[in-house]
Formats: sequence, C-alpha cells, structure tokens
Amino acid sequence: MRHLTKYFTANHLFRAFSLLLILAVFNWQSVTAQAKKPANADGDVSTEVVIHDGDGIFNSVASFTFSVKNRLPTDQNGTVSYEVKTEKGDKVLDKSMDVHISSGADKDIDVAVPNLKPGFYKINFMINVTEYDDTTRRAFGIRPKEITSEHARPADFDAFWQKAKDDLAKVKPNFKVTLVPKKGTEDRNVYEIQMQSLDNYTIRGWMTLPKTTNPHRKFAVLLGLPGYQVDLDPILGSDPDLAIITLNTRGQGTSRGPIDTRRDEFISYHVEDKDRYVMKGVIMDCLRAIDFVYSQPNLVHDNIMVSGGSMGGYLAIAVAGLDKRVNLCSAQNPIMCDIRGLNGEVDWPMSSLKKYVATQPGLTMDKVFGNLDYYDGKNFAQDVTCPSLMGIGLLDPFAPPNNEYVTYNVIPGKKRIMVFKDLAHEISGKYKELEGRWMRDTFALF
Amino acid sequence: MRLKKAHIKILLAIVLLTALFQQKSHAQSFPVRPGRLLLNPSVTYFFATKGWDSLSVLKPFANNGKFTSTTYNMAAQYGISRRWSVFAQLPYVTNSFTQTGYANHNSGLTDLETGINYYLANIDYIYYFMLHGTVITPLYKDNPGLGYGLTGAELKLSFAGSGHLFGNHTFFTLEDGIRQYFGSQGPWQNRYSGTFGMSLDQKFMNQVSVSLGGFYSKSDFKAFNVNPATEKNFAFNQVTLSYGHSFTHEFSVFVSGGTFISGRNTGDGSSASLSLVLRPFK
Repeated sequence: MRHLTKYFTANHLFRAFSLLLILAVFNWQSVTAQAKKPANADGDVSTEVVIHDGDGIFNSVASFTFSVKNRLPTDQNGTVSYEVKTEKGDKVLDKSMDVHISSGADKDIDVAVPNLKPGFYKINFMINVTEYDDTTRRAFGIRPKEITSEHARPADFDAFWQKAKDDLAKVKPNFKVTLVPKKGTEDRNVYEIQMQSLDNYTIRGWMTLPKTTNPHRKFAVLLGLPGYQVDLDPILGSDPDLAIITLNTRGQGTSRGPIDTRRDEFISYHVEDKDRYVMKGVIMDCLRAIDFVYSQPNLVHDNIMVSGGSMGGYLAIAVAGLDKRVNLCSAQNPIMCDIRGLNGEVDWPMSSLKKYVATQPGLTMDKVFGNLDYYDGKNFAQDVTCPSLMGIGLLDPFAPPNNEYVTYNVIPGKKRIMVFKDLAHEISGKYKELEGRWMRDTFALF
Repeated sequence: MRLKKAHIKILLAIVLLTALFQQKSHAQSFPVRPGRLLLNPSVTYFFATKGWDSLSVLKPFANNGKFTSTTYNMAAQYGISRRWSVFAQLPYVTNSFTQTGYANHNSGLTDLETGINYYLANIDYIYYFMLHGTVITPLYKDNPGLGYGLTGAELKLSFAGSGHLFGNHTFFTLEDGIRQYFGSQGPWQNRYSGTFGMSLDQKFMNQVSVSLGGFYSKSDFKAFNVNPATEKNFAFNQVTLSYGHSFTHEFSVFVSGGTFISGRNTGDGSSASLSLVLRPFK
C-alpha cells in the first residue's frame, strides 16, 4: 500500500480502494458459494483437461493441466495416468502417478509432453481412485504446418480430370429453373434447378434469390455442396445480397435416380474402376453447377463461393482445384484427404471400402487405393489457387487433423485454417461467422 | 473593431470546420460497396455566446455578443472498387455575429472537399483501417467570414470496427487526420475523433452514438498576435450525441447535438444537426 501511495493521488487511491472492495465482494461470494456446496454423499468427483493453447497446437512442448475436484465425503486414493498415441494408435508415451485427494479438495496435475515429431497426437487422461474411474480424451498438434503426405499424386492426375471435364462439356446442360412459390418467403424466391451432368445424369438442386424490384440487380453466389448422403433443402436466410444454391449431387436427395444406393454403399460405388467411380460424376455435377451460375445473367459470375462440410468440404476443395471460376473455397471437415493415410486411422470410410472389396472377386485394397489417388482431397488441393478457408476438429473420427493438415499445407493460394480443439466432425458458429465476413469482404458486399 | 473582426473570423472558421467535421466522420471509416452511392445532406445550427481566450479562460463575448451559424451540407460518397471510393462535400453557410450596436452577416459556399478513401487492411473482417486523402478548395475569395480562402490537403487514418454489447450491435471509429492549408499563412491542423455507437434493436433500425473529437490548429505566424493569422492557432474538444433511425435500408435520419467541452482561442458553442443518409440505388 505504501507503494501505491507513492504513485497514486488520493483520487486514484479512492478508486483503487473501491475496486478492491468490489473484487473482495466478488471473492467473498465465490468463497461462500464454494462453502455452500460442501462435500457430501450426493457429491461427485469431476475432472477437466485444460490444453494450454487455444487451438491445441504447440511448437515443441505440449502442455496440459488435468484438474480433479473431489466433492465426495471421503478422501480418494488411486492413480492418475496419461498416455500419448499417434493418430494410428501407436503409443508414444505413458505415465502414471499415485494421488491422494482429500474430501472437498481440488488437485491440479500439470503435464508436459516434449520431443514429439510434427503431427497430431491423441492424449488420454485416466483417473482411477477409490470411488471414481474415468477417461478423458483429447488431441493436440505439434508444428502441423510441417506435416506432409507420404503418398504422391498420380502423374496423369491432371490429364484424368481434364478428360472428365471434356466429357462433361459434351453433355448439353439443359438448365431448367422453376419457381416454387410455396417454398418462398416474404424476402426470397425459391427455385428448383435441374441440369444434365456427366453421362447425361439428371441432377437437381435449389436456388433462393432475394426479391428485388430492380431487374438489373445481380447477386453474388454461395454454392452449398452436400455432405455424405444428405438431401439438401433450399437455404433461405435473410441475406439481401446473396443467391444461395444448394446442389444435390447424383445419388443423393432429389438427384437419386439411376444411382440409388444404400447409405454405406455410396462411398464404394464402382470404386473398382477409377473411370466409373461415383465420385467422378459427383465432382462433375459440382462443375456443372458452376456452369449453371455462368448461365444465369442475374448472378455475379466472379463472385462464387463454394462451401460445404464433410463430403461437401471435400467437394469444395475438388471443385476449387478443378475449376478456376470458383472465387472462394470454404471446406469444413473435408473427408477423403490423404486417403491412404486414413487406413488404420479411421473406421469410416475404410470399413465401407473394405466391406465392398470383400464382395468383389479379384479386387484388392491396393487397387482401390490406386483408384482413390485420383480422388484424394490433397491432390485436388494442390491446384486450389483461390482464397480458401478450412475448419477442422481435433477429435474428428472421419477427417483426422493429420490428414486435414496434409491437405491444407499443399494449398498454394491464400488460405486460413480454424482449428477446434474440442470438436469432432463439426465446426463451431465462429467458423460460419468468419466465413460470412470473409465472403462479404472479398466480394465487397460492404 | 479590429478585435471584433478577429473574433468573427475565428468563430466563422471554426464553426465551418466543426460542422463539417461532424458530418463526414463515420461514413468514411468503413469501405463502400463498389457502385454504391451514399448521399448525406445535412443542416447544422451552431450558436455561441462565450469563448475561450488564448489562455483557455472562458469569458462571455463582449457587449452581449452572440454568434449563430447554419450550415447546409451535401456530402456524397461513391464506391469505385473494393479498396477505393471517392467522396465530396459542398457546404453552404450563413453566419451572424451580433453585439450591442454591431452586427455582421455572411453567407456563401465555403470550402469544397473532394477526396479518395483507400481500404488498407482489416483484422478478421471486423476491424478496418482506411486511409483518406482530401483536397480543400475554397469556393470564395477574400471573405474571411467563410474560411481561410486557402487551398489545403489532408491525410487521415481511420480505424473502425463493430461488435456486440448486451446483445446489441455496436460500432466504433477512431480517426486522426493532418491537414495543411497552403500559403504563407496557412495553418496545419490535427483533427481527431472517436465514436462509439450501439443499436437499440437487432435490425439496426435505431441507434445511438457518442463522439468525442477536436482540432488542434497551429500557424507559424503566431508571433504576430495582433494579426488575424494568429487566430489560426486554436484548439477545442467537443462531445456529440446522435440518434439515428433507419426507415428502410436506403433511407436513414440522424439527429445530433454537440457542445464544446474545452478550448483555446475559440468560441464555446453548441450545435444541433439533422442529417439524412440516402442510398438511391440498390
């Protein structure tokens, strides 16, 4: 206090005292709140893992705090242990320690994990005490921008997809736009759109446009791409500047037809032949949707953002890599990235592919991986030159962070990634907020 | 009489500066959509019956002196591209300074301001840095009641952003500009302002804001304190409260009230203004 008086005026002192008083009141409330919840028979042991980085990404030493609160009326004795594994499950480190946690007490255990190679790791914290057992699973990354794939892109990758685009160009699109008044709102019109795609397959989707009295008004475009076996509906929203197109690619939603598989069989449909694999048509369907945008005079042709999650994220990367008419690419939790690296890391889609291989005489996983090299998200990403945004979850069981970063790292264009350390196959609202601001800024929709 | 004229000159000059200063503040702090035209007509009434002297001592004007001024201003801004926009503003002023046994009236077009805005950078597409270049062209000659009569130029940096508070949208702008009037007696000025605003509803139909801003003006000719040029040395700070209502996305009305809170060599005045924001083309 003497130091304070040395530097502060009486007025400052009064303010400082007031602040201290306020803090003291809050602190008292905090203490009393704790005192009001003493350990009792209805109490419990609870745990929490704090990762000491906002994104769970470390440069060298990964650090955590494992906190235990004992609200039981009895002391707890036992062990707290943790183990670090690679994403493929190889154990890197494990440690265990004896703990004694008195009734009503808290215990914080700081953990530092040094000397790991670049990559993502799983860390499990286990507590095994007198009346409580639990495991908390988390993941973290070490210098992920240094992660690279061990698997090369096929030498004829570009030629393969150029031929696919040439084949698509031979199909007359026959674009149809049909107003669907009953789906519209006060602010937006809803249209069903239809077009012919590769192999003359009929695909459908939706377009919603803000109502306007200006016949010359043009709208920037958000092209929403579908997740795995998702039936996309029209997206309405209230954005007065944006046309929103949602596409149901072949075999999904309103574009089921000749391709009408069971849910788990779609991913392996004709995977034995890279020229007939279902994803070839699906990706070409997305390019046809870009053709559709260019056919519409009321859409701004150089303001196209492709966006999607899961398979939609994968398609966003594929389309942005193959079609330079795309201006922004937003991929959330894209699947099928560094596909060979997924083997041993994830259950799906490997389980579906292996199940299919088992039913096809003569077909091997090597052959399937060879075909899927032409469909690997990381191989499309190498050609994504438009600005891109990617969102990943460190606990994602289908699109693991290693594979996502392999893909992200090879994107040559301007890019940004949002990492959600506590999420699995999802992204938070913060991503969508940023995506919206990014799009509006890039398209100058101030 | 000479002192009276000097007083008049500074009061007129400052009221012009302050009235226009308020009008163009935050509209320029954010980028403008290419092809979009923003029109901002306004009228501002200013009055003062006392002033601060060179030692910042506040005194009533001598002989029941009263200064009033009405400024009619038309400002426009047009988006050229994502990064560039242009702006212009044309003010017309009527001034009156009365004392017992004395009256002076003045009116006319004053300083035309034209310029460009450049969108420098952003932080997370929430906070924007803009650079503004302005040329000041006097539309009168030999009429100190309407301004310095000097060509000038200004370079200004602004920082603006938006956010949320108590569930409502908020915005802020911070601006600082250096202006130089050319010529042997031309002052340089530092013009600064900070604004914080908040919507009163989720659709931004109603908003309130508070601004704090001011000038610091300095001339090299301060040694000649009986020369009118010395009155180019002045400073003030003012606070302004505004309320805005958007009738549609294309039409909003703002009312503002402001008052000086400190000064040197300037009148202690208050102002009220009414302005419209129009977006004639969707």
